Amino acid sequence: MKSIINYIALFVLFFCLQVFLFNQLDLGYGAHVFIIPLFLMLLPFNTNIFALMSLGFFLGITVDAFSNTFGLNASSMVLFAYLRPVIFETFKPREGYDPLKKPTANDMGWDWFIIVFGTLFSMATLWYVILEIFRISEFFLIIRNLVMTVLASGITVAISQFFFFNERRK
Amino acid sequence: MQNLFAFLRRFRVFIFFAALQFLCFILYLQFVSYPQRVFMSTAGNLNATVSRWEGSIFNHFYLEENNKILRIENARLRKRVFGNYYQKERAVFQVKDTSYEQKYSFIPAKIIHSSTNNRNNYFTIDVGTLQGIKKDMGVISPRGVVGIVFKTGEHYSLVKSVLTQDINLDVIIGADGPQGILKWDGINPRNGIVTGVSSDLPIKKYASIYTLGASGIFPKGIKVARIIDKARVEDQSLWELKIKFTEDYRTLHSVYVINSLHLKELKTLQLEIPEEE
Repeated sequence: MKSIINYIALFVLFFCLQVFLFNQLDLGYGAHVFIIPLFLMLLPFNTNIFALMSLGFFLGITVDAFSNTFGLNASSMVLFAYLRPVIFETFKPREGYDPLKKPTANDMGWDWFIIVFGTLFSMATLWYVILEIFRISEFFLIIRNLVMTVLASGITVAISQFFFFNERRK
Repeated sequence: MQNLFAFLRRFRVFIFFAALQFLCFILYLQFVSYPQRVFMSTAGNLNATVSRWEGSIFNHFYLEENNKILRIENARLRKRVFGNYYQKERAVFQVKDTSYEQKYSFIPAKIIHSSTNNRNNYFTIDVGTLQGIKKDMGVISPRGVVGIVFKTGEHYSLVKSVLTQDINLDVIIGADGPQGILKWDGINPRNGIVTGVSSDLPIKKYASIYTLGASGIFPKGIKVARIIDKARVEDQSLWELKIKFTEDYRTLHSVYVINSLHLKELKTLQLEIPEEE
């Protein structure tokens, strides 16, 4: 029960951070900072895939409503949720996942976190950028926006790992 | 029947995924195709309230620059106020002038939400149908053109800004130079492109670009941008002119919505042009 309240608080926190902080940043060169996929990443290992996709859709669509991107965030969040079990399965440690651990950098190690989150996030961002631009002729723009967004968001997410989730380990 | 259920069970995850993606596309399409519905955008009532709080915080960061721009404009306008003129021919002077008729009226508005780093950027302004805002009205700022009203709510409206993919402004280069079409380059919020200018016409670098006003939405002669580079389009006898907008859309907060009083007459007249077969 306590953990459910924790996750609800996390949902609201990620929403506020995305809408009121990161959407206001204008980094230029096509770089966006997406923090909301981290919410899907942090849900427990045994979360039901349907719940995962619904939560992704709901968080995405609420952020969309406040940034005039109509469905783009929701769509890429659903893709992130859909791919999460597949990628988790691919990069499973030899002894399997410990249900007591959480999918954070502190619990699972930085190597695992960077590879898994990086793969999932790159795929979801590629989806987002392709939908947003929707032209084959602007291939290089798509690649540039993808790389810049992954870099900017990656740094933010890495910093957040130090900030939020250290006390859980104690 | 058994097979169908087995199929559904086997692919239930993918079917759910596809259904959610389908829902996203439906939402996107309904946003683009129904201008009257502000649901799911920052012009909706609840969202606009939140955006207004957000705007009231972030506006403070730009107060200084905005004040400067408005002061300059005020000074320019004050020069034209009749009270500041010495009345030379007192008998002839009339307050209600019959030889001039007002063509455009301006409704001041404030931007409460905007973005400049997306591919299509929409601005939310704090006036709506209650103030007489209608779809397709022009929006300008003290330093340039902002966009065209795209959706109207009761209290708020959404403006399709110059920084969108399919904005095509009709512009004129210099005071009476060639005409062209202005687009955004999609990358830098300060730069755009002007196309449709025949390359046999001489173009000066750093020439100013003004609105043409042919569509009747914008008044003629609003300065929009300045040419920074020119190149010939391959295989075509056209210039491709790189321009820099005079307005910095990233710090823009005060705008005017233009009510074109002659627009209806102009449109009815233009309908009379016989179509070529």
